[in-house]
Amino acid sequence: MAHPSQLGFQDAASPVMEELLHFHDHALMIVFLISTLVLYIIVAMVTTKLTNKYILDSQEIEIIWTVLPAVILILIALPSLRILYLMDEINDPHLTIKAMGHQWYWSYEYTDYEDLGFDSYMIPTQDLTPGQFRLLEADHRMVIPVESPIRVLVSAEDVLHSWAVPALGVKMDAVPGRLNQTAFIASRPGVFYGQCSEICGANHSFMPIVVEAVPLEHFENWSSLMLEDASL
Amino acid sequence: MSLAKPVMRGLLGKRLRFHLPIAFALSLVAAIGFKYGVTEPRKQAYADFYKQYDAVKEFTAMKEAGVFESVRPSGE
Repeated sequence: MAHPSQLGFQDAASPVMEELLHFHDHALMIVFLISTLVLYIIVAMVTTKLTNKYILDSQEIEIIWTVLPAVILILIALPSLRILYLMDEINDPHLTIKAMGHQWYWSYEYTDYEDLGFDSYMIPTQDLTPGQFRLLEADHRMVIPVESPIRVLVSAEDVLHSWAVPALGVKMDAVPGRLNQTAFIASRPGVFYGQCSEICGANHSFMPIVVEAVPLEHFENWSSLMLEDASL
Repeated sequence: MSLAKPVMRGLLGKRLRFHLPIAFALSLVAAIGFKYGVTEPRKQAYADFYKQYDAVKEFTAMKEAGVFESVRPSGE
């Protein structure tokens, strides 16, 4: 989860998010390069006693400030396209989960083997126990096996929502009447938080997503228990 | 006694020929500084983290701390 006064991304918990982090560093390096150049030129132009400051008709500088930006754009585009295609690779998921957005909660359906479904409401602030995170905790978490490719099919039952978990590098719009697909692998066990990322009404800020990545045997035990509870 | 004629032309060009190389050099320094001060250490940090990472040990520690909903600590 995010911590107070955080500036950068959350620590990556999936291979795709790690790639996105490194690409962001690359793009930010280019941003600093251009910003330093522009700032220096602005200061140099502003702190001069010269009154005739405007160059007219210079072929050399026109070539430089056309070619250089084109080169910079290519340097940004190539890693960007690499990640885009990486995210789109055939990933052969081990598990498919449906995440449905409602006003104002998420519901998860695990229908690969049995029919397991449950709702996930935010835990209200007054019901939090010490150590829990305000506006981020949910009563039922989406549990997944760690280090397994997971496919999430995202949709909505009423208005637009968006299913996002920053640590996993995942965000997918939940559109009523449409099935959007995303996939990820949780590289390590843990609990990863996200929040609804498309304005959906009064409680848009109060429908968080909590993903819990545990080893496969514990995931299987959990899903058996959930099915038993549902059948009672 | 007559004064030498002051330089009246090419003043902006002279200023640019002085300042633009410095501007490009500084911006390259900023980029290289960011690359070796932030980008490479971050890549190394992730590589080092996963080199020594024991998922079972970390999972057990988190489980005993009561972090998970699906798996409770051994005492419970």
